[in-house]
Amino acid sequence: MSIVSARGSRPNHWTAARVSVVWRNFDLQLMTYAALLLAFGLAMAYSNTATAGLGVFDGGSVFLRALMWTAIAVAVFLVAAAFDYHWLKTFAWPLYLVQLGLLVVTLAIGGGVGGTSRWVSVFGLQFQFSELAKVLMIVVLANYLGSRMGRLGSIWAIAGAGILAGPPFLLVLLQPDLGTALVFGAILVTTLFMSGASLRWLVVLAAGAIAAFPFVWTYVLADYQKARLTSFLDPLADIQGSGYQLYQAQIAVGSGGWFGKGLTNGAQNAMGLLPVQDTDFVFAILAEEVGFIGACVVLLLFVALLWRVLVAGWRSKDPFGTIFACGVGAMLLFQVFVNVGMVIGIMPITGIPLPFISHGGASLISIALALGILQSINIRQGRAKW
Amino acid sequence: MIRYLDGRPVPPPSRLRFLAFGLAVVLGAGALSARLFAIQVAGTTPYTALAAGTRTVTEAMPSTRGVIFDRDGRALVSNTASYSVKIRPSDLPESRRTEVVNALAALIGMDPADINVALDSNPGSRYDPVRVAQDVEPEVAGFIAESKSQLPGVEVVVETRRSYELGALVSQVLGYTGPISGEELADLKDKGYQPDDMLGRAGVEATYESLLRGEYGLQTVERDAAGRPIQVLRTDRPPVAGSSLRLTIDVKEQRLAEKAMRWGMRAAGLKRGVVIVMNPQTGEVIAMVSLPSYDNNVFGEGISPAEYKKLLNDPEKPLVNHAISDQYPPGSTYKLVAGTGVLADGKITASTRIRTAGYLSLGGFKFRDWNGAGFGLCNIYCGFGHSSDTFFYQAAAMLGIDRHAYWGKQYGFGAPTQVDLPAEASGVVPSNKWKQDTMGLPIYPGEVYLAGIGQGYVAVTPLQLLNAYCALANGGTLYKPHVVGEIIGPDGTVTKVEPEVLHKVDASQNVLRIMRRAGRNMVVIRHTYNLVDLPIVIAGKTGTAQFGTPDRRGVLPFHSWFAGFVPKDPYKKASDPHGWKAVQRTDSELAVLVLAYDSGTLGNAATEIAKYYFQLHFDIKKDYRNPHLLKRGNFYGMR
Repeated sequence: MSIVSARGSRPNHWTAARVSVVWRNFDLQLMTYAALLLAFGLAMAYSNTATAGLGVFDGGSVFLRALMWTAIAVAVFLVAAAFDYHWLKTFAWPLYLVQLGLLVVTLAIGGGVGGTSRWVSVFGLQFQFSELAKVLMIVVLANYLGSRMGRLGSIWAIAGAGILAGPPFLLVLLQPDLGTALVFGAILVTTLFMSGASLRWLVVLAAGAIAAFPFVWTYVLADYQKARLTSFLDPLADIQGSGYQLYQAQIAVGSGGWFGKGLTNGAQNAMGLLPVQDTDFVFAILAEEVGFIGACVVLLLFVALLWRVLVAGWRSKDPFGTIFACGVGAMLLFQVFVNVGMVIGIMPITGIPLPFISHGGASLISIALALGILQSINIRQGRAKW
Repeated sequence: MIRYLDGRPVPPPSRLRFLAFGLAVVLGAGALSARLFAIQVAGTTPYTALAAGTRTVTEAMPSTRGVIFDRDGRALVSNTASYSVKIRPSDLPESRRTEVVNALAALIGMDPADINVALDSNPGSRYDPVRVAQDVEPEVAGFIAESKSQLPGVEVVVETRRSYELGALVSQVLGYTGPISGEELADLKDKGYQPDDMLGRAGVEATYESLLRGEYGLQTVERDAAGRPIQVLRTDRPPVAGSSLRLTIDVKEQRLAEKAMRWGMRAAGLKRGVVIVMNPQTGEVIAMVSLPSYDNNVFGEGISPAEYKKLLNDPEKPLVNHAISDQYPPGSTYKLVAGTGVLADGKITASTRIRTAGYLSLGGFKFRDWNGAGFGLCNIYCGFGHSSDTFFYQAAAMLGIDRHAYWGKQYGFGAPTQVDLPAEASGVVPSNKWKQDTMGLPIYPGEVYLAGIGQGYVAVTPLQLLNAYCALANGGTLYKPHVVGEIIGPDGTVTKVEPEVLHKVDASQNVLRIMRRAGRNMVVIRHTYNLVDLPIVIAGKTGTAQFGTPDRRGVLPFHSWFAGFVPKDPYKKASDPHGWKAVQRTDSELAVLVLAYDSGTLGNAATEIAKYYFQLHFDIKKDYRNPHLLKRGNFYGMR
């Protein structure tokens, strides 16, 4: 009989006992899929840099920055995998405070386009703390729900998780960053669902949320947010305004065909027609340059990655690991679906980055951290036997 | 079995819920790839045509702007094809803006700041091109057009620009065209104006904007995905060319008037001056010189903000047409009003003599005559001829301020002349009501005196003053002055601009005849020195109007004025050696006004300048000018 402490576990092994055990439990597939996606991201960075008329290795080029962030991400992944994830449970509450702190700091001193405060400059690099906050949110929720598995039938457990997720959600909404806030929501709902929370209550709450939607629409959302949320329905209606990005994005995607125009050959890319073509709309350029086949390969890689993430959760004997994996899965699935959906016109514009492919240091590092922790969970399943 | 510390068993993860999650992943990826297939391969989405690279848009077709001729049919402005450089802000990534703007500025040879100003003050949306440079060298334009990838968002287009043949000579009348502003666009959008449109900004370019512009057409153009035009599919509505204008301005006379003014400015060290020549029979303006002037071609070529600022901040205001847009105290030229008034209201007759003196005392102040001894007993000929101040103090007092104002308005003062040029000032005719309305005070008796000699509150524009003397010359008809004589439609139909009468001066022909003779008397008695010696008959009035703040010796700076006319067939006859009969006629076709701004000269600078213009106009070989009168000095006497 194994005892898994809900809190105060006292790990005394910094690394797993035997290399062979580690190797057996280390999910090579997961790492491979992630590496391939990373390679796609770097290729897009290269393409964007080359078509912008800059030298690929010129200082400050998108490609050079992407290389640097990739290196950091790999390091973060390795350190996180080597680190015993049980410590996260021990420090879940302090980590929650760190998460809130990061978001408050962002609001206080953060910069952004047009009066928003979304990122903080760290050593001259813009870093979006809310990306890191997402992973910390998963840790906090996994700890909270993981210690209550089997007792989640009541509304109170759901309310407790909601109270935990509430402050970060609001802080992100204040930046304002509706997209990231929605990711928090997706993580909360998925982790509740996967930890066995009362389905009845979840349905009731979902109905409540839908009922509250008209109120939120009228009183909470700013006009520009509404315009972005609705313009995907008919980009041509407001082609001079919020529909423009969408319109250009779909032209780019549509011109890709089966096999694409080849890297750096995208006309929409070269013309610089997409205002955020290296971040939120990068998938449009990807679809234009590598075509339907290439885009499907990317989507399949995401599906494969998600599969490995869910397998890690399923195999974890520790409820923390299960829920953590589900949280990471929710984050990846939601971001991929909303981002790609936005580019191809079936989801509203919300400004959510595409994992691995969108160029943003914080996004990449957060994913590396999440996957690293997941590997740590994989590796340390055999722990009770040691 | 895994348990919590309290012994509770940890339930295994729900198989069903994991399956649900897996299903969500598969469905999500499936939906995305299905949609991708639809867009990229099947091409069944509404954007397929767009993705294939073309779309059609309706856009404006500019009309040809009308041209402007002088009286003799000489073209004063033409439309020249030139290259303009425009930037479509939506196509210029913000991250590359600085780099692109700097590169472009270096290519064209302009200040990057000016390009940024143009971009930031763009009245249209981000998708409308912003004109950043006009009249770009063809080689540079070609290079820019070929550097599309280095200069995203930058476009080169061929546009017509206004090319003004004579530049500064007639710029005050012609004006210029300039880019439309955001507020104007809001008003004019319905009339087919485009965000990067030009419109008349000054002169007849502004007053006749709608006629000159014509009507823009519409065409349907096929464009590629990047917005570049591929071909014109059809013309939905052809543009209608603008009308052309034939001015009443005669360039020959304009040159002579400017030559006279420039001579006077040089000789007397003047900084500003106005000469206007009109035909009193029609109200046609034959010459209108306002110096300093500016070359309106700098606007056609695209003026830089720095150049424009320099013109705006010039203390002599070269962009302002001083002939109509500035108002000045008229001084003694305004004695026409009180003189006509006292005669017409029957306060005096032509033979009534009024005692003039060195000064009149009123309320403890001394109201001085320019001549410290006065002129003794003086009738209207003497009073107007010598320009006696004490005579006209009393004349104004006889009328009272409101009656004096009435006669001022009869001559067209205190209201715009409605000349077909923009930005006309209306002048000031003081009356009880006017002072009550503007200052909340009654008129004081001393102010009535001052109004009689065209000082105090009285202010006129040079054109108003000349128009008043035109009415005197033609027997009392106040015309609306105009600078456009004919409008030539795009189909060649000519519409003449008929003389328009504002009103008839409410004075008998007899009174006006007396005033014309009084104006002639001023010349005859040599108040204007040797002006009488010219072989032509000139009648009129000089003026010296003080303004501003006194200098160290307590002497105020002053403008000098000359307003006068010559009868038709002005040459002196043996039968009429002094021209008395000639000025009784009302057939004058030439009236001249000169304003010499801030002319601290020994003599009346305006008279000398007018004299020189008459010499040039009538081709009088002998030179009657008195350069010594134009020396700077303490002229403080003759009015």
